[in-house]
Amino acid sequence: MLSDLFSRSAARAADFSHLEHASVEFRNVIKRYGDHQVLNGINFTVAPGEVVAILGPSGSGKSTLIRLINQLESLNGGEILIDNKPTRTLTGTALRQLRSRVGFVFQQFNLYAHLNAGQNISLALEKVHGWTPQQAQERALALLEKVGMVEKAHHYPAELSGGQQQRVAIARALASSPQIILFDEPTSALDPETIGEVLQVMKSLAHSGITMIVVTHEMQFAREIADRVVFIDGGEILETAPPEQFFQHPEHPRTRRFLQKVLNPLHQEQP
Amino acid sequence: MPALDWQGVLTGQPVQWILSGFLTTLWVTLAGIVIASGFAMLFLLLRTAGGKTGNAVVSVWVSLFRNTPLLVQLLFWYFAAWNGLPLVLREYINADHTWSILPGDVWWFTPEFLCSAWGLGVFTSAFLIEEIESGLQAVSRGQRQAALAQGFSSWQLFRFILLPQGLAHAWQPVVGQYLNLMKLSSLASGIGFAELTYQVRQIESYNAHALEAFTVGTVLYLLTGVLMGLLLGKLGPSPAKRIRRAPKTTIHTGSENA
Amino acid sequence: MIAGLAVITDNLDYLLWGRMSAGQPGGVLLTLLMALGAAVLALPAGIALASLAWRFPGTVRKVLYIWAEVIRGIPLIFVIFWMWYLLPLLTGGDLPGAVTVTLALAWFTAAAVMHSVLAGLRALPTGQYEAALTQGFGTQQTLWLILLPQVLRTILPSLLGIFISLLKDTSLAFIVNVPELTTVAGQVNNRVQIYPAAIFIFTGVVYYLLCCSLEQIAKRWRVTRPAF
Repeated sequence: MLSDLFSRSAARAADFSHLEHASVEFRNVIKRYGDHQVLNGINFTVAPGEVVAILGPSGSGKSTLIRLINQLESLNGGEILIDNKPTRTLTGTALRQLRSRVGFVFQQFNLYAHLNAGQNISLALEKVHGWTPQQAQERALALLEKVGMVEKAHHYPAELSGGQQQRVAIARALASSPQIILFDEPTSALDPETIGEVLQVMKSLAHSGITMIVVTHEMQFAREIADRVVFIDGGEILETAPPEQFFQHPEHPRTRRFLQKVLNPLHQEQP
Repeated sequence: MPALDWQGVLTGQPVQWILSGFLTTLWVTLAGIVIASGFAMLFLLLRTAGGKTGNAVVSVWVSLFRNTPLLVQLLFWYFAAWNGLPLVLREYINADHTWSILPGDVWWFTPEFLCSAWGLGVFTSAFLIEEIESGLQAVSRGQRQAALAQGFSSWQLFRFILLPQGLAHAWQPVVGQYLNLMKLSSLASGIGFAELTYQVRQIESYNAHALEAFTVGTVLYLLTGVLMGLLLGKLGPSPAKRIRRAPKTTIHTGSENA
Repeated sequence: MIAGLAVITDNLDYLLWGRMSAGQPGGVLLTLLMALGAAVLALPAGIALASLAWRFPGTVRKVLYIWAEVIRGIPLIFVIFWMWYLLPLLTGGDLPGAVTVTLALAWFTAAAVMHSVLAGLRALPTGQYEAALTQGFGTQQTLWLILLPQVLRTILPSLLGIFISLLKDTSLAFIVNVPELTTVAGQVNNRVQIYPAAIFIFTGVVYYLLCCSLEQIAKRWRVTRPAF
């Protein structure tokens, strides 16, 4: 396709910066699974370069929220705008282009099991974006360096620890130089001692110009790195505030109860 | 496409042959199932209770019958082993006996029927043993340990905990093996056994209505398979909960395996 | 006993490779040729059909499932019969018996391969597919570059089992008188008459050795592959 040729030559020079304005806006977003209403009219906006942490109890709809952004799930109502452009009706090549502007890091890492760390990153560069194998490999090694995994470039996922795999997964998500990166509970599947290395990588990414939306249970990350914390429960956003305000003076009663349970699990007030 | 003449196969001699062959297939399948299940039970017992030699015997049995084609086994039973039987016995079987007729005019006390049923039975038993063992092994180690901790003996463990659950897990594959036996009975036509496939070829050489005869045969085998599957599925135990069975490392799939 | 062995040695070349000198391979040679021929046809066909079924859920998948059920629901001998009668009608000419049997075996085996590949695809964690989606891979690319390479590795033991069955199934050529090992053994038995045990035991042993050595190779593969 002609547009592929253009994007290939553009790829070598620029970094897929086809998003003028890396913002994400939810307008009255509704999502249902059968009879169950998961999201009840979500309205919120993430500004370019912002770091937003999304907190909430399980079943609150927070994973669904970010999975709607790159259309791993589809909307039942409302609209999501990226770069001020509606995305609901995107299909085919346009959708794939959008997806390569938005990086996604899964809770279960989901590295390609049959490829080593370097190949996990270079594959999309070669096959989706048309880079030459050499360029793709160089970029892969550079990204692995950035996440501290360059010595393991030839190792397979099965040979890496959870924290190492997740760092490679983050490098993979960064391969196409996305301007928005989404994290779906990135540390929830990790052993406690490896959580730190992943959070360090996420910290180095924050405020580097990339828009970050992170669904997480890691309160320290939310407190120290996020610009804004969003609390979602029962399919609705109940509270959004900068971290100090959110953690010191939560307004909504359900927010307060949630923070009580999470920050002080042994001393909860009886429901 | 040549014109098809269904009258040619659905009336007169041909339809008699088809019916006879069909009933013969059903009877030999039943006989084979009985023999196969009997041997499978026997060998499972031998394996659990017979110690090292028992285990070895069963392994050899299974290995022998799984790694040679059924047809070669049937040829062996019919041409070679048959001759090993005492002459008196052979003559006795060859003679006509009034008690040797099953409903549907099927003679069972004949060399062909006996060799076919026996051959199908011992062949299938080798596969049944593996299926049932897989089913038994799928019962979690945790349950075994809990039972032993409660003081159950090995036999009681087998009888009350392993076997009921094991059979429930293994029932679908076991039914698959039975269905396979039914389809493999077609190979007995190679030793001159007058089951359905034999009769279909008979029609073909009688009035050259090959396509019509094959179609009837195909439909009969398909229907029998479906009905057998439904019936046996209903009759057997079903697992209490959908538990994922440990995948077998070698899954044989071909004409001789379910 | 020795006389029985003599029957085997006297006819050994016929049993092993049939009338090779007259340009008509037979015996063990033909068995291997048919098995390999069918495998070479069935493997890509089965993978292609599984890819179609995976990619197009709905009518295409249903049709393919029904096709596979019908093929495996009838005796293999009937598949051979159908091929025997339909192929001349389609190609207008006469194909050698061995080719017809090979095609019938390939047809039957493709259904088994399709089954196995689909099971492998279903067993893959959905995360693999989702990760490929997020990176912008198209469906075709996802299948080829991400899913199938992993699936084919995991179902390798199953595929080998299919091939071992295929090897045994070549014996069905006996029914249509194509001179592979079983047919040839039958012919020798018909001629010699008095040593059936030696002949059929020998035949069984040959198949046994072939199948067992393949199983050994499978076991060694499973040990050397990197754990996934």
